[in-house]
Amino acid sequence: MWDGIIIGGGLAGLLAGIRAAERGKKVLIVSEGVGSLTYSSGVIDLGDAERLMNQKSHPYALLGERVVRSAAEYFQTLFPDYWGNWREPQFVLTPLGSPRKAGLIPRGLNTQALSETHKIILMALEGMKDFFPEVAKSNLLKAYPQAEVVLHPFRVEAFEAWYTLGKPITGMDCGKYWRTASGIETLKGVWKSLDSFEPDKAVVIFPGLTSVFSQPLREVQSNLPFSVIEMTAFPPSDGGYYLYRGLVQKFKALGGELLVGSGVKKVELKGKQCHKIIVNSKGKDSEFSARVFVLATGGIFGGGIEVTLEAAKEMVFGLPPFVPSGWTNSEFLGEQPYARMGVETDNQLRPIDSASKEVLLENVRIIGRMLAHWDPWVERCGGGVSLASGWFAGEQV
Amino acid sequence: MNKLDSVKNLDACIKCSACTSQCPVAMVQPLFSGPKSVGPDAERFRLEGIDIDPKCLSYCSNCKTCEVTCPSGVKITEIILRAREKASLAAQKSGTTRLQVRDLVLGRAEYLGRLGTIWPGLTNGLLKVYLVRVLMEKILGISRRAPLPPYQAKFKGIRNNKLVPNHRLSKAVVFFPGCFINYNDSLTGQAVIKVLEHNGYDVIMPNFHCCGVPLQANGKFNEARGNAKKNLALMNPYLQSGVPVITGCTSCGLALKEEYPNLEVSGSELIGRQAYDLFEFLWELQEGGGLKQDFQEIPVSLGYHAPCHLKAQGIGTPSVRLLRLIPGVRVSDLDTGCCGLSGSYGYKQEKYDIARQIGEPLFQRVQEGVRIGEFQSMATECGGCQVQIEHGSGIATKHPVWVFMQAYGLSPEFL
Ligand SMILES: Cc1cc2nc3c(=O)[nH]c(=O)nc-3n(C[C@H](O)[C@H](O)[C@H](O)COP(=O)(O)OP(=O)(O)OC[C@H]3O[C@@H](n4cnc5c(N)ncnc54)[C@H](O)[C@@H]3O)c2cc1C
Ligand code: SF4
Ligand code: SF4
Ligand code: SF4
Repeated sequence: MWDGIIIGGGLAGLLAGIRAAERGKKVLIVSEGVGSLTYSSGVIDLGDAERLMNQKSHPYALLGERVVRSAAEYFQTLFPDYWGNWREPQFVLTPLGSPRKAGLIPRGLNTQALSETHKIILMALEGMKDFFPEVAKSNLLKAYPQAEVVLHPFRVEAFEAWYTLGKPITGMDCGKYWRTASGIETLKGVWKSLDSFEPDKAVVIFPGLTSVFSQPLREVQSNLPFSVIEMTAFPPSDGGYYLYRGLVQKFKALGGELLVGSGVKKVELKGKQCHKIIVNSKGKDSEFSARVFVLATGGIFGGGIEVTLEAAKEMVFGLPPFVPSGWTNSEFLGEQPYARMGVETDNQLRPIDSASKEVLLENVRIIGRMLAHWDPWVERCGGGVSLASGWFAGEQV
Repeated sequence: MNKLDSVKNLDACIKCSACTSQCPVAMVQPLFSGPKSVGPDAERFRLEGIDIDPKCLSYCSNCKTCEVTCPSGVKITEIILRAREKASLAAQKSGTTRLQVRDLVLGRAEYLGRLGTIWPGLTNGLLKVYLVRVLMEKILGISRRAPLPPYQAKFKGIRNNKLVPNHRLSKAVVFFPGCFINYNDSLTGQAVIKVLEHNGYDVIMPNFHCCGVPLQANGKFNEARGNAKKNLALMNPYLQSGVPVITGCTSCGLALKEEYPNLEVSGSELIGRQAYDLFEFLWELQEGGGLKQDFQEIPVSLGYHAPCHLKAQGIGTPSVRLLRLIPGVRVSDLDTGCCGLSGSYGYKQEKYDIARQIGEPLFQRVQEGVRIGEFQSMATECGGCQVQIEHGSGIATKHPVWVFMQAYGLSPEFL
């Protein structure tokens, strides 16, 4: 018997698990896949928290300022590698080289130094996939008109196999290489090769480098006479992958158990209480019981809600999702109302009936992308809602 | 899988590349284009009769990390294995004899094992001689640096073939030891039996054959199915009486749960449901209140490595749950990826370095954990992982059953 079982091991589920385990609870996370973090850049978007807290039914409004703030601060105490403040937006570079607003960011992505410099050196590793040096250069010139931008193409021996095969070097290939011992040695050589550029007066932008959670890389960087700024990347991306690894390792270090690869296919209810989940293991089903259950199955993208032409269905408990009217918007780039689809809850995150507001399951909490009434693409609060609801559920287990 | 199912399986792929981003081989070997590419992507061409680069297929170590990761449940390794089977049939006429002999040797852990256990002292002595290993590399393509496990006298079990009367079958289990216990680690086999007996179970051990995993991994698909059928025939009477089959090796366990149910012989409809990992079984006892809790306090701190084929079973890490019930035991679940060996994969000359690179983060984590005093030694269920972790990190690594032996007062010391 567990104190809490969390269904879905993405950002929301893992944070809930970590908080609960840290409070001494016995926690099991069951997750079909690894969640959407590997597609994200590792940046946590909090959105315009002040405004969203006043937006009717938004998860921030349900949970209130204390929870949103505590969750962001909690995340930063877990991961001191993350920089930012829940009220103050930070800026990071998109894969195309333009600055964009963000909430909590890995320190290496911090663009502050760019506004103050007169010279930007843009490192361009030869053969890198999804990096367009000329586009990035022109976007940087637009965003930072006070600075000149020098493009610095370079080649690395370790990637000779890629060059020979004519295989593009993905951001993940790069990121992993720079974190190895030999990668760090190569990197030192790369810094040396910049000497002729008078780099101490410049800021260096280095796509493909991900220093988050790498002590040795950060050490090397802190000894340089210039600042190095990393870029976010197209999915799947290193930054998100390392955040996923970091969360999993925290959770396990606190004694949590994570079962990845098999989904919850059924639950057993007694009245308004859930007491058991049935997991689709190889060969036969496994059963796990707990006092509290947290549903963090990631909405439509994560597989927690299935949408057909006729209806939308929540896949584990069979809860009725809130479906916005006119949810298939024909405008491709406009707001997509289906994004607001999800399970409606009370302010304890327990699922409720949309019409009567009656609580449907008393020991079940809904978190992350499973919640109704928010849109990560328009409101840019994807990470923030997952953190706030995950932290709150972790407090309740 | 028939052609229609194959197409359905392919259609499930949403091309997200999550599998490739987690594949331990693709991470270290640029020549391997990864599970998405050799699996669902290439399969479309194969279904049309176009084979692209069959050589690439052999890089897959069948660790199943891709399948565990895939959000859409695509049977990636099944696609890869079937494609390999096809490619190996085609290549049998043209393949080089040296590698064919190696497939024969590595695929038949059982025959090699029998040879080794007839005269373990001699075989072990020979395996330690550098020249012998150089010759093995030259003649067989088995890497001279790979950690070949030493052989022990063959595991005989305690109640080998002893009949358990029908009325006692409800408290009986069948034990499927697997080749590693049979030929390299019979003591662990005895330990499994003692722990089960301590919990009141009669342990039945028919004279099983190798489960078939190494045969399959080395291209001997028909032989693998042959072994599976023989084993099922030995289990069948017990399966029909509802007796569980317990495995101490996670790869055998996965085969029993995933491959055996596909055979069209009597018992195949039951084996999936009745096969248990040892600790999965003990955990079920614990949940039902039937696990003996007469544990002595033992001051042991362990790092734990979850074998890939345990992860693929989708049962979590029951051994860690159970270890934490024993007073004094501390366990850190390291979760630092695959050890790299993947059965016989890391023994191959051209794969040794890949295996080593895959396992490197794990080895470093193990050494670091011991250095800072987080734990003293390692535990993991898979015999291959045990050998590889000891080889890579120099830290003693044992089957977790030994902790239970000590806690139950059945053996003096874990280390
Ligand atoms: C492509 C992409 C890019 C993004 N980029 C950013 C960004 O830059 N910044 C930002 O702040 N946010 C970003 N987000 C949003 C943010 O990542 C999500 O809000 C957040 O990760 C959602 O987390 P979640 O835990 O709710 O769901 P998910 O991460 O989707 O996790 C859900 C998990 O549940 C599992 N699951 C589903 N069904 C079952 C079942 N029946 N049983 C067991 N498990 C099940 C799934 O396999 C999955 O692992 C991005 C999202 C996506 C999809
Ligand atoms: S089974 Fe392992 S090695 Fe093979 S493709 Fe999948 S993840 Fe890669
Ligand atoms: S993870 Fe699954 S769905 Fe994604 S590309 Fe791989 S096989 Fe396709
Ligand atoms: S030897 Fe162990 S870690 Fe390595 S592949 Fe086997 S199960 Fe995985």
